[in-house]
Amino acid sequence: MASQEKITVYNLADLKNTSDDALTNYLTSLKFTQSHRLTDVRLALGYSAFLLSAACFLWDYKLGFESTKYLTAAAVAVYTILNSALTFWIFYVEKGTVYEGTSPSKSTKIKVSTKTNKNEPVYHVTVEVEDLKSKGGKKRDVLTISRPFADWFDAAGRFVAQPFQTALATGVPAIGEVDVKRVAAVTKKEEVGGAAAGYTPELLEALANAGAVGGEGDASGIDAKKGGKRRKA
Amino acid sequence: MLSSLGSPRQAAAQLMNFGLILSTAFMMWKGLSVITDSPSPIVVVLSGSMEPAFQRGDLLLLWNRNVIEETSVGEIVVYNVQGKDIPIVHRIIRKFGTGPEAKLLTKGDNNPADDTELYAAGQDYLNRKDIIGSVVGYIPFVGYVTIMLSEHPWMKTAMLGIMGLVVVLQRE
Amino acid sequence: MYSSVVRLQNTFGFFTTVAFVVASLVSLSDFLSARTPTVDLLKTTSLQVVKGRPHYYSSKKEEYAIIKFSLDADLSSLFTWNTKQVFVYVTAEWPSLGSQNNTNQAVIWDKIITAPSSDHLANIGPIERKRLKKSAGGKPIDPSRGKLQLKNQRYKYQITHPSGRIASQEDVVLKLHYNVQPWVGILTWNQEQTWGKWQALKGAASKKFALPALKKKDEGKKNKTTRT
Repeated sequence: MASQEKITVYNLADLKNTSDDALTNYLTSLKFTQSHRLTDVRLALGYSAFLLSAACFLWDYKLGFESTKYLTAAAVAVYTILNSALTFWIFYVEKGTVYEGTSPSKSTKIKVSTKTNKNEPVYHVTVEVEDLKSKGGKKRDVLTISRPFADWFDAAGRFVAQPFQTALATGVPAIGEVDVKRVAAVTKKEEVGGAAAGYTPELLEALANAGAVGGEGDASGIDAKKGGKRRKA
Repeated sequence: MLSSLGSPRQAAAQLMNFGLILSTAFMMWKGLSVITDSPSPIVVVLSGSMEPAFQRGDLLLLWNRNVIEETSVGEIVVYNVQGKDIPIVHRIIRKFGTGPEAKLLTKGDNNPADDTELYAAGQDYLNRKDIIGSVVGYIPFVGYVTIMLSEHPWMKTAMLGIMGLVVVLQRE
Repeated sequence: MYSSVVRLQNTFGFFTTVAFVVASLVSLSDFLSARTPTVDLLKTTSLQVVKGRPHYYSSKKEEYAIIKFSLDADLSSLFTWNTKQVFVYVTAEWPSLGSQNNTNQAVIWDKIITAPSSDHLANIGPIERKRLKKSAGGKPIDPSRGKLQLKNQRYKYQITHPSGRIASQEDVVLKLHYNVQPWVGILTWNQEQTWGKWQALKGAASKKFALPALKKKDEGKKNKTTRT
């Protein structure tokens, strides 16, 4: 089970990757429709470059260098172009995008990119929200959330879903609309406790020990179902 | 970490990253080949016949184009002999004629005799086409790794395995 | 596992970078030291053409030119901290029929001059090595080794032509060449043109001479690659 898997809390890449995966799973569980456009283009570029070099390797191996050198020169040029296109795509188009998709009601399109800075255990999330319903020009909103990973990882390196989902649902109205319970939960807690992530050690322990999804403290029936999906994914 | 291989796209991306590391290294090598016009632009010295200039394990950078002038006497060249797998690095000591038909004789600085014995049966001289490059640059020791790898094949397997594992298991 | 692998990678990467940068700087330093090689004298002292066989079992008879020469050159400026050895060689060059260029070139004599830092690599006997090492007087660089004074030097490699004929060949010229082998970096040869702080090697060619006619004498058994 995903939540039982421990990661090294000092490994920023692990923290980010686990959170990225959880983010996608969470949105999928909310019936968001994921678009794989960005990944597919990246894979197409990468694999065509790889196949080209494989072909180059084969003809070089079978026919030798001298008889194929002009073909090889062309292959090197095309490979360079494909690889630069791939680099460009990753750095200027994807820009750390981990999720792209539309809401269940097809009213909004969201694009989530995340990043971390070296030696700073903070999850920076940028969400681009596009309102598909509004006519006369696209309406775009850009939201940013920056939260420490400590909010949803316990000291042992176990991921705790609830505060993570709460942070997203509260920070992004487009998600909040779909998952009202999470928003409500946090507002109440914030009113009472005043802290952004007011989770008592007892609650965290309960969550960690729970094992089964239903054990999550204030999770409603719907949440449990979502959680179950997330964990299997 | 392994759970990151859950989605087929993510698995494909991980595999691609590993593939691209290999293919980029290969294409860089081929690019260098194309620029220098040599099938093997970097070679590792395997014998001591050019000592003290070159020792076993030294890395030589080759150039195989005749932009300014023809390959001539005094140059250290790497050549192939028909029917022999391993290229030889020796100095040209005689050249008769010009152009692709010029007759070239080589000798290792450290060898008492010229290379006539090393050539194919009935071959007295090399031609320009037998040469895969002239030595232009020198880096000591670095090539020793490849000698180690070829003498102990298990090291090669182990290294490739570790490389693959690190790349697949570790996302950037 | 993660952090140890990464640390190992980083350490190795850092080490490689530092080594690469240092090596590049060392090899670039070559361009900063002036090279002023000179040849004061290069002339033939004795010429002879004899008939012989390429090897003992060969029935083919070829003409061999046997050349002795005198050389006075100063290559001491080629020895810097990045010089591993200087390979000095003298070629005989002559034109083919109907050609203006010297299309035939053959090395008749060569010498490996090791820098004291590479004396231990030279292929010489222990006594000779000891003497060589002593000659440097403990210095890592010994430019005095670049001073060459040869009188009536015997050929090291007798020369012939694939046609087997070389007697009475006109317009032959001897030339001095050198090849500087670095500890790291690019290999360099003598230049025709001055380039930066590196001067061209002037006077590297002897006067043109003609080889004598054939002298009746069989030297077939000790030919080619005769060592001095």
